[in-house]
Amino acid sequence: MSEPATTPDSNLLVADDVRKEFGGLIAVNDLEFTIPERSLVSLIGPNGAGKTTFFNMLTGLYRATSGTILFDGHDVTDKPPHAITKLGVGRTFQNIRLFPQMTAIENVLVGMHSRLKGGIVGSVLGLPRVRREEREARDKARELLQFAGLRRVDDELAESLAYGDQRRLEVARALATEPKLLLLDEPTAGMNPQETVTFMEFVARLREQRPLAILLIEHDMKVVMGISERVTVLDYGEKIAEGTPREIQTDERVIEAYLGKAATH
Amino acid sequence: MARRRDRARTSVRGYRDRAVRVSRLDAGAGHWRRLPRPVRTFTPVIALLAIATTYPFYLASLPSGNVPLIYSFPSVRSAVTILVFTTMAVGLNVVVGYCGLLDLGYVAFYAIGAYTGGWLASGQFQQVRFHFGSVGITHDARGIHISIWLVLLCAAALTAIGGILIGLPTLRLRGDYLAIVTLGFGEIIPQFVRNADSLHGFDLTHGTFGISPIDSPGFGNTVHRAVGLPVSYQQSFNADRLFFWTALVILLVTIFCCIRLRDSRLGRAWIAIREDETAAGAMGIPLMRTKTWAYAIGAFFGGAAGAYVASFNAGAFPSQFSFNISVFLLCMVILGGMGSIWGVVVAGVILSWLNVEGLANIGTWLNDNVFPSNHNIEVAKYQFGIYGVVIVLMMMFRPQGLIPERRRKRELEEGGHGTLDDGMYEMRGADEPGAGERGSPGGPSPRG
Amino acid sequence: MNLYKTPTDFFNVFLIGLTTGSVYALIALGYTLVYGILQLINFAHGDVFALTGLFASSLIANRFNLDENSGALVILGGLAAVFLIAMIFGAVVNATIELVAYRRLRSAPRLAVLITAVGMSFIVQNISLAVFDVNFRSVPPLISDANVFSIGGVHYNWQAFFVILVTAPVLVVLSWLVKNTRQGKAMRATSQDPEASAMMGINVNRTISFTFLLAGGLAGIGAVLFLVEFNIRYDTGFELGLIAFTAAVLGGIGNLTGAVLGAVLIGLIQAFNEGLSWFAPGSDWTRSIVFGLLIAILVFRPEGLLGERTPEGA
Repeated sequence: MSEPATTPDSNLLVADDVRKEFGGLIAVNDLEFTIPERSLVSLIGPNGAGKTTFFNMLTGLYRATSGTILFDGHDVTDKPPHAITKLGVGRTFQNIRLFPQMTAIENVLVGMHSRLKGGIVGSVLGLPRVRREEREARDKARELLQFAGLRRVDDELAESLAYGDQRRLEVARALATEPKLLLLDEPTAGMNPQETVTFMEFVARLREQRPLAILLIEHDMKVVMGISERVTVLDYGEKIAEGTPREIQTDERVIEAYLGKAATH
Repeated sequence: MARRRDRARTSVRGYRDRAVRVSRLDAGAGHWRRLPRPVRTFTPVIALLAIATTYPFYLASLPSGNVPLIYSFPSVRSAVTILVFTTMAVGLNVVVGYCGLLDLGYVAFYAIGAYTGGWLASGQFQQVRFHFGSVGITHDARGIHISIWLVLLCAAALTAIGGILIGLPTLRLRGDYLAIVTLGFGEIIPQFVRNADSLHGFDLTHGTFGISPIDSPGFGNTVHRAVGLPVSYQQSFNADRLFFWTALVILLVTIFCCIRLRDSRLGRAWIAIREDETAAGAMGIPLMRTKTWAYAIGAFFGGAAGAYVASFNAGAFPSQFSFNISVFLLCMVILGGMGSIWGVVVAGVILSWLNVEGLANIGTWLNDNVFPSNHNIEVAKYQFGIYGVVIVLMMMFRPQGLIPERRRKRELEEGGHGTLDDGMYEMRGADEPGAGERGSPGGPSPRG
Repeated sequence: MNLYKTPTDFFNVFLIGLTTGSVYALIALGYTLVYGILQLINFAHGDVFALTGLFASSLIANRFNLDENSGALVILGGLAAVFLIAMIFGAVVNATIELVAYRRLRSAPRLAVLITAVGMSFIVQNISLAVFDVNFRSVPPLISDANVFSIGGVHYNWQAFFVILVTAPVLVVLSWLVKNTRQGKAMRATSQDPEASAMMGINVNRTISFTFLLAGGLAGIGAVLFLVEFNIRYDTGFELGLIAFTAAVLGGIGNLTGAVLGAVLIGLIQAFNEGLSWFAPGSDWTRSIVFGLLIAILVFRPEGLLGERTPEGA
């Protein structure tokens, strides 16, 4: 466990003693985790270390067995996913979960759901206010698609896009929720090295142009080390190391966790 | 000369001439495709509308009595029932087709709507005397008699509230449990109306006799004197036509609302829930609230249709409501294509017609012309078996329905990458633990 | 009516409930077996029960010509044969449904299979209608209605006892089958994890077929027992199916003991509802009560009495 690098006031997310048990299995074990504002931090660890479980708790998909999670000053420990998203947490999924039968632009528009106001009556009657909101939303969605590097796929069904484009679309959709914190769950899984590089350049560009914090789960060490300000390593649901990429690379416990005891000897 | 023609058939020039002829057809199609999209969408709709609206006029000139297979075209009176059932199917499509909630108890909404019509426009409640805009009722008649147009709205609203109440405890259940629970409500409510003639002495639904007569729609004397609209449908000389056109209007209004909703923020939320409930929640869509809206809207139109048909039949009777009807409507949605309004309309018309008189007619025709005279087969008796076969076959071989939802159609037009069948079966189960962690079967495969 | 004031009525109704509950148990087991292995509510199961019952009744009446005048040995022999044939018939019909309809949709989303099951239910019902028409069918009273015992005012006749006599050993055999045989273990393994089972060398398709055969066989036995006291029509399967399904859910869907327990409970509830005319709503309301119970269970305690709370996902 390490002290938060910044004062508590500028921590966007504070997870305190968070635990998740599934029956007898402890997936996340009294974890303490903070994310400073506008930072880019990574969470790594061997398979089954509890990274995605933790993600799911942050986004409300799982309810923590104990502990608290504070986001932007709000207690989100028991809040449902849509409420947490509305507060400003956006995410992508480890195995892409786009809406397959919706077009790219519709996927992004769904992301905007909590930021739009159009209701039933307004939609049915076609009130000018609602029409305008829809028009503006579509323009914004197109911009997001452009920003994510997706060209001319606006009206293509999500399921027919190339894999790399699907990953970018997921990010665009998450950005549409206007997040203060963006959670990326293994976004480069399944990409070849070149695609990975382009994608991470996109993430870097994202970082510069938008005022948000990013939490990245990754397996690819090059990706993690190249871009993160801080790296946290989980193993068996516990934090075994936290620090700058350089510090983590040489940490014995980390090497041991990934490669087994033999590797350190 | 002949030899020259022969040579033309095999020569390059002959080939080119044939190609030119074919390409003229192609050019025609190309011209069609080049028309602006609104024209292309609206022309068939307007044509269909014209055909439907003028039906009572040209029905007389259609052949009748010995049309092959179907024997005769439906009467205007039958057409009213057809339109009403189709309206209900469009309502069910919102719940099942857009939002992906398997509702096996839609008949409950039909019943609530019909009985609300009975309560608000008949002599059922002899304890009071309340008139408001009703037509064709003597001034001193007891009971509640409200103008049918208002009653339609009230019934729709009440049914929507009923839908919300039913939805509250049930919409958080998983898909198959939700189906069973809706089936349960679809059984409880009809059984309730069948038996609620003595609730602590109070007669709410008049038991197995049902509520009748129910008042007629109409515009009253004042409006009649002003613009000539009919005073009271049931008492008009062309009552059937009046009911028909009003039913058509109701269907069109329902279709219009559903199209508007589908393309709205709420509609997108419904479809997102259908496609991937977990991801939808993660994108900020409040799941329970959104599903409840789907239920409420579906109930709204079901209730309106139910109240209207109660007025048309001048009565609401418990024998009209059974689980079979819920499945019957579901069959329309599946045959037409879940989420596809026009598909559901077409399937609704076909299946309702079969139910009202089509199967009986086909049976008669078959018995007269095909089957030997000593083997009389009562085709209509097997209608639910036929609907069952339709459901099973559609699910196995064409789950996207006769007229797929526009999204799938776009994929087919563009020579899309997916096959006809895979899109439907890539829906993920939202209730899997470890959402986002495990791979789901049939997820998008890496391309490129 | 209660235990204190009118104990004889109470016990009589109790015994009736127990007896009906036994028949329900056989059908409920069918639902729970299939749900356990496929997570599918086999809507058509009740209708398979009805079809088998109709078939059995025509066997008894027309083929075997059994009636109350036949000799005791003839009756017993005939019934034994009918049980066997009904078991096979029910098993085959049930397994055919799986082969024809559900197998193709093994990878489809659950709702698609559920919709298909509803469609199959209607198809089977219509087959019953086509072959046996709208009439109720029953069998002549083959088992005497003399009393097995009669203590105070509490009677229990042979007809009812016969149901218990048949059901009890069937349940014992089923329990042995599931616990001790290879197929039984295969069933249990497949219901927990089909992929792992396949990797362990279990033929998943064959195991699923076996489950459907078993479920159908149980329904067949239940159908004959049902005929001893009641009559069957083409649409009897719907109501009975829902009652049995509620029983399975009440006990904990997927749990065999739970299915039996739930069935007995539902049998008792129904008996008390219909038997206590001045106290309970009465048979008009049976369906509503059973459905209300089902809804309440699913909303408040979906895992039923004996089921386990699934690990919390979302």
